[in-house]
Amino acid sequence: MSIRNKAVVVGIGETPTDRLGSKPGEPRKSSAEYISWAMRLALADAGLSLKDFQGQGLGVTIPTAYPQPFWPEEVAEILGITPGFLLGGATGGAGAVSLLGGMVAAINSGLIDVALVVGSAAPFSEHWGGGIQPGDMRDWEIPYGTMGPNSKIAMVMRRHMHQYGTTLDHLGKIAVAGRYHATLNPLAYLREPMTIDDYKNSRLVADPVRLFDCVMPANGGRAFVLASPERAKSLRKKPVYVKGFGERSNPSYGPRAGSDALIMGVKDAGRVAMEMAGVKHSDINFLQLYDDYIVVVYLQIEDLGFCEKGDLGFFERTDFTFKGQLPIQTGGGIINCGQPSTAGGVHHILEGVRQLRGEGGERQVPNAKIGLISGLGVLPYGKNLGCCAVAILGNEV
Amino acid sequence: MAELDVTKPLPAITTEAKPFWDAAAEQKLTIQRCQDCNAWVWTPRPSCNECGSERVEWTQVSGKGEVYSFTVIRQVVGRAASKAFEPDIPYVIAWVDLDEGPRLITNIIGCPVENVKLGMKVSVQFEKASEKVWLPKFKPS
Repeated sequence: MSIRNKAVVVGIGETPTDRLGSKPGEPRKSSAEYISWAMRLALADAGLSLKDFQGQGLGVTIPTAYPQPFWPEEVAEILGITPGFLLGGATGGAGAVSLLGGMVAAINSGLIDVALVVGSAAPFSEHWGGGIQPGDMRDWEIPYGTMGPNSKIAMVMRRHMHQYGTTLDHLGKIAVAGRYHATLNPLAYLREPMTIDDYKNSRLVADPVRLFDCVMPANGGRAFVLASPERAKSLRKKPVYVKGFGERSNPSYGPRAGSDALIMGVKDAGRVAMEMAGVKHSDINFLQLYDDYIVVVYLQIEDLGFCEKGDLGFFERTDFTFKGQLPIQTGGGIINCGQPSTAGGVHHILEGVRQLRGEGGERQVPNAKIGLISGLGVLPYGKNLGCCAVAILGNEV
Repeated sequence: MAELDVTKPLPAITTEAKPFWDAAAEQKLTIQRCQDCNAWVWTPRPSCNECGSERVEWTQVSGKGEVYSFTVIRQVVGRAASKAFEPDIPYVIAWVDLDEGPRLITNIIGCPVENVKLGMKVSVQFEKASEKVWLPKFKPS
């Protein structure tokens, strides 16, 4: 059971992000415009055209407050593609990595030869309404006055700090490394240098979660193109192989009515993906981890097995910058590049591909051969993130 | 500025959950329990999510537990209905682990927010939210 080296990322596209529409009268773009823009960037990068995707794969991330339930089909209309295999990414922020896995499987099965995966959202310039909440949230959370994901992650963060003695210095190291990389990434939105004190002194939004713990919503679009290894041979960019994939949704650690909230599904998704790729921890040159919150990045480093749970010393001695022992978030993550709803998760794949092509510019990880990408989505009742997907990418067969 | 006329959102009384709300109106905290594998099942659902059995029965629990973690809400954000919670600020959202095992999202009431601690022992106290809905909240034991 493996899809190792069965498909290649051959094109990437990432629009700049913005927050246009947050002030009255500002010029604004629609999510349709961002998705079309991202597609054109990815196609140009791959050297492909629209006609190459007729009868092929199209994957679309489904935004959290989507305009209508048939959004993936609407995107096909917007772009002018008649797909032979249309997939919606229904795992929230994990959707991009989930779609990568699904499309590689479809390519490996012979169903399709190439696939385009796209996502966009324009939360500031379009107002789609609040959406419909899952029943558990509607009935068992919201009546108590919970304030969205911040409330739940605040409880996760406080528990970790209580149980393991984790401090803002440990967590802030992740935040500072991410921002440092953002200062070197022309596509990042937050590019001002940030110190550990800036992090520690940032405004408390949901005690103990601070402003610089949180992802930044933004308008934007992102896309990538996959092809069979055979098809990739005639294309222009250095091939980046999908070497492993693993996914866990509705993960549970302990009894389901009281699962351990400090363990995430990437624990199992990551193990499956690494075994499929045939890589050890020491083979992995960088991590691009889904970053809706700083503590979520921190937990993933533990759960992926780079250290034991609660090993504070590991975080104290490890250099997480692109020059260090374990580079993470080398493009700044979506905390610094912006989260256009569930299209946010595409960013981590794109930055992984850039690093493996040697297109990392000033933030290039030296001799990068293997990278790990994660996607996370959905915060169900009483648990940590509910959908977790991990992909291993590499630039050699 | 005009007062926003918003009321706090109420749970939908689904067919699965109706026995819970009926018991809550009588100040009883009940949780489904699987008659085949003994697992506690929370939140309410038609079958056991440990073994798949449909023999899940509403069972009264002690109403005692401890604070697994919490946050203090000092600002309302998001949905318009959130505004209805503004007069309650600051208030505590907590995960409470019942002595029987299930973890509930709830409010800690009956003490200043500064007094809430992880591991603190708490017990249930129902608060009337509407004619049909009494919400189980928790106060220091």
